[in-house]
Amino acid sequence: MVEAQLGKPAVPIITTAFESLARTNAFKRGMPHQRFTFVPHPVWGKSPQQLRADIEGNDPVSGEPMMQQIVASLTRPLNAEESKTGAIEQSAGPAAFPADAEDKLQQYYHDNGMTDYLPIVIPTEERVAAMLKGTSHKPDEVVGKMAAGSYEPWSFTVKQVAINAVMAGAKPEYFPVILAIAETGSASIFSSTNSFVKMVVINGPIRDQIGLNYSVGAQGPFAPANSTIGRAWTLLSKNLANGGVVGETYLGSLGNYGNWVNIVVPENEEASPYDSFHVQKGFKNSDSTVSTFTGWGIVSGQGTAIAGLSTPKFDHFKAVLGTLGPTFSGTVVMDPLVANLLKDEGYDTMAKLLDALKTRPSEPAQRMPRPQDINIIVSGGSTNPYWQYGGMRYERTASVDKWR
Amino acid sequence: MKAKLVCSVIGALCLSLVTGYSAQAAQREAQAGGTAKVTGLNPRGTPPPIPLHAMAPRLESLDGKTVYFVDDGFQGGDLLLQEMIGWFNRNMPNVKTVFRKKAGGFDGPDPALYAEIKEQGDAMIMATGH
Repeated sequence: MVEAQLGKPAVPIITTAFESLARTNAFKRGMPHQRFTFVPHPVWGKSPQQLRADIEGNDPVSGEPMMQQIVASLTRPLNAEESKTGAIEQSAGPAAFPADAEDKLQQYYHDNGMTDYLPIVIPTEERVAAMLKGTSHKPDEVVGKMAAGSYEPWSFTVKQVAINAVMAGAKPEYFPVILAIAETGSASIFSSTNSFVKMVVINGPIRDQIGLNYSVGAQGPFAPANSTIGRAWTLLSKNLANGGVVGETYLGSLGNYGNWVNIVVPENEEASPYDSFHVQKGFKNSDSTVSTFTGWGIVSGQGTAIAGLSTPKFDHFKAVLGTLGPTFSGTVVMDPLVANLLKDEGYDTMAKLLDALKTRPSEPAQRMPRPQDINIIVSGGSTNPYWQYGGMRYERTASVDKWR
Repeated sequence: MKAKLVCSVIGALCLSLVTGYSAQAAQREAQAGGTAKVTGLNPRGTPPPIPLHAMAPRLESLDGKTVYFVDDGFQGGDLLLQEMIGWFNRNMPNVKTVFRKKAGGFDGPDPALYAEIKEQGDAMIMATGH
């Protein structure tokens, strides 16, 4: 809290739409009695005259005259609660819930915000024990920490990850992948008004070992591993990081359908002419990894075959990347047919291809994501030479093998 | 005697029909997961304890004090703060007002600005939480 850092009285001005978020944030940051003043939402887009009318009126939450309240917040002596120091202990509840019929338990998990509101597999001790057989790691080993935005990160163990994996319907052989995703600490649902989505690229021998689909329909619901690994990430984010509490830890104004199962992209390494994505990040072909990305999403069906640098289609490819701007980078998922056409045009290494994408003739260079911020993933089943793109920023890569 | 026997047979038949039906229904219900009780584990992670920060001591009055108005960069916040500064100038002219735009985005720190406020300011108003 800035007030604590400054040692000076402060008043944060918050719009009414974010009252709950502000109070939760103040609590989580150790100042539960922070003195706020609320103004009518939104501030963005109002004229000075409208804003003056707002501040000369009452705080819509307290009903008190706004400016007089601000003065009082800076001058009224603190009470005992406001002066407290120490710590607030938090609890996420008991290790297990009271025994009940499965359908009633289903409802219990839904009602308490622990699901994606689709039917789950009830995580009984027996089912979780079976999931734990998918790794050599001990159930009580701490995997890492995850935060649903700028909140305090929650920690979690192998067993807590296993419970969520069971709920998602995953098989024990998928568990090392889910643990690796958990270890990245990347919550797929997090506090932002932007309705972001996350993507995971999966590389290495694990793809074939657990039947991940990287061919026809790679990003769709056509293989149990793709579907349940993606779903598990959402449940991990809700339950291990307290994410997705609407109004508190989730503020996405429009929401994002991708948050149900996220964007899962096993790379089609065998059909790609380029180094696999994890090799570009310093891993070996024989390593199995997950790489996470964050951003707006991937737009499907954007283009067909891209020919040489001088052709309109290649210029179109560059133009599309130029619309993304530098903030969220540019990520392209291309069918192996596209990648191989590009290779045949002379872009036989990823470095050459990225270099050719630096600028396009009609736009200043700063509009483009930097070459090092452009990610190209090869996936799909070669039914036709399509490619897709989106403003997705690479986060990090984690080993799956570590969690076998 | 004959009538008694008939009643007993019918009674036994009825009883077996009733009990047979109940057992089948119960079995079907159990198979559907309707009656078997199971224990579900808690999927939630472990939240940390939250250290409490004491709020800063309040001022006796704003008279002659310097209040910083800090724009965190969210759209419209600068205009809102300028209107607040105008209100202070009109209604509490003894308050010195200083407007600053915070570096580091709306949720990042600005150590240089915070050091300046610590040294030269008496209070701060920051906008906007959106």
